[in-house]
Amino acid sequence: MASVISATNLSLAYDKGKNVIIENATFSVNQGEFVFITGPSGSGKSTLLKSMYGQIKPNDGELIVGGLNMKKIRKGQLLQLRRNIGIVFQDYKLINEWTVEKNVVLPLIITGYSLDVQRVQSEKLLSHVKLTDCAHKYPLELSGGEQQRVGVARALSKNPFLILADEPTGNLDEFSSGVVWDLLENACDQLNATVIVVTHKIPTIFNIPYRHFIIENGGIHEVH
Amino acid sequence: MFILPLMAMLIGVEFILIFNRVTTSYEEKLKNDYAILVISKNELTTPIVRSHSDKVDSVESMNREEIAKEVTAGIQDSGMMAFLKGLPYFYRVHLTKYMSLDELKEVKNQLKSIDGVLNVEIFGESYHSKHTMFRLVKMILNIFIVMLFIVSIFLVIKQMEVWQLAHKDRMKIMEIFGAPMMLRSGILFKIAFIDAIIATFLNIVIFLYFKNSWASRSDIDFIKNNQDLLINISDYFIMFFTAFIIVLVSVSFVAFKSSEVPEG
Repeated sequence: MASVISATNLSLAYDKGKNVIIENATFSVNQGEFVFITGPSGSGKSTLLKSMYGQIKPNDGELIVGGLNMKKIRKGQLLQLRRNIGIVFQDYKLINEWTVEKNVVLPLIITGYSLDVQRVQSEKLLSHVKLTDCAHKYPLELSGGEQQRVGVARALSKNPFLILADEPTGNLDEFSSGVVWDLLENACDQLNATVIVVTHKIPTIFNIPYRHFIIENGGIHEVH
Repeated sequence: MFILPLMAMLIGVEFILIFNRVTTSYEEKLKNDYAILVISKNELTTPIVRSHSDKVDSVESMNREEIAKEVTAGIQDSGMMAFLKGLPYFYRVHLTKYMSLDELKEVKNQLKSIDGVLNVEIFGESYHSKHTMFRLVKMILNIFIVMLFIVSIFLVIKQMEVWQLAHKDRMKIMEIFGAPMMLRSGILFKIAFIDAIIATFLNIVIFLYFKNSWASRSDIDFIKNNQDLLINISDYFIMFFTAFIIVLVSVSFVAFKSSEVPEG
């Protein structure tokens, strides 16, 4: 199976290497796998996720994402890579001046898809996340759970090969959490996307096989 | 709203253009109204005088008979003829540009060196006061324009900060999803260029009003008689070009500053 993410002796740090968060991490994730990353607060879960979409450059070691070395990646390559990654944030990161339907198709807008394609995809995804009636609303008119469902729909809109989710259900009620987990499961199971979720707690009901990494004391290890 | 700081800058630019035209025109008028008086026992021509000073534009001979008539009023014709015979030649010497008193003194010396020249009168005192006044006015106007520009630049910088705050989140989110800079900043460029067009248009309207309404009722004769100097078609293009460059630089600055730098 093809490796989507491969880390070898990876070190991540802030403040120009002074504040080391993750040290000597070695792991790999294959196409179509679902991975949970857990660990105590401040252990570096989000930092690891950020390094996977190039928000943070590796301090040492090697991190390959989609065949690109994240330490040596050029700006243009990074933007190109990000266009093929779906990202879900705990704080949603929706564009508040845009309608829900426009937010959902942001990756399509960036890639230059036609308005017709955008409309069709927006209708389909909003139906999946049960927000068809909210298409013309603005994010701030929605509840937290609804906003996160918009965020997930946006992450899925371009059928990405990789979905990164940072505490996607951290602020959500049970119903919205269930919808989000279903969507992520489906993306992995039916679209063969690799899904990496950083979370405090793995959901008790989960219908597909998954891998579980724990980050502790700057190291990362897999739970079997 | 980028329009107000942009308008302030464009007003500064237009003032520079107008003041340049007005001062050049006024300088030309002062130059044309001024002449050095040269008294010579020999006849002089422009080439002769210019061979001694390249700052001389032309030499105009004064009517000797009229001078003699004025001086010998009430004296018989034969007396006037005798006076005329001994009367030297009088010339008005016009210069190529409106120059300082020091340059004028230099021209005086050059003219004095011409064979046969008896006296050269530069009317230094009145010339000097006019010239000083002219320079003073020009300097005050330049200071005013510089101040206007500084204030406008601060306004533009403030506006850029406001823009950055207003669009930072959107631009950052778009960048996370891989949007290139032009797409992220597209809306900013659009707003800024519309503002540039509006600001240029409003400035043109204001200056056309001054030209066609205020200037004709002005108590300042020079402005009243030289309304054409106030604004012309080339100024429209200069103002729009300036506005265009300002917004281009400002928006690019905001766009680059909002660009994410990977940590680590």
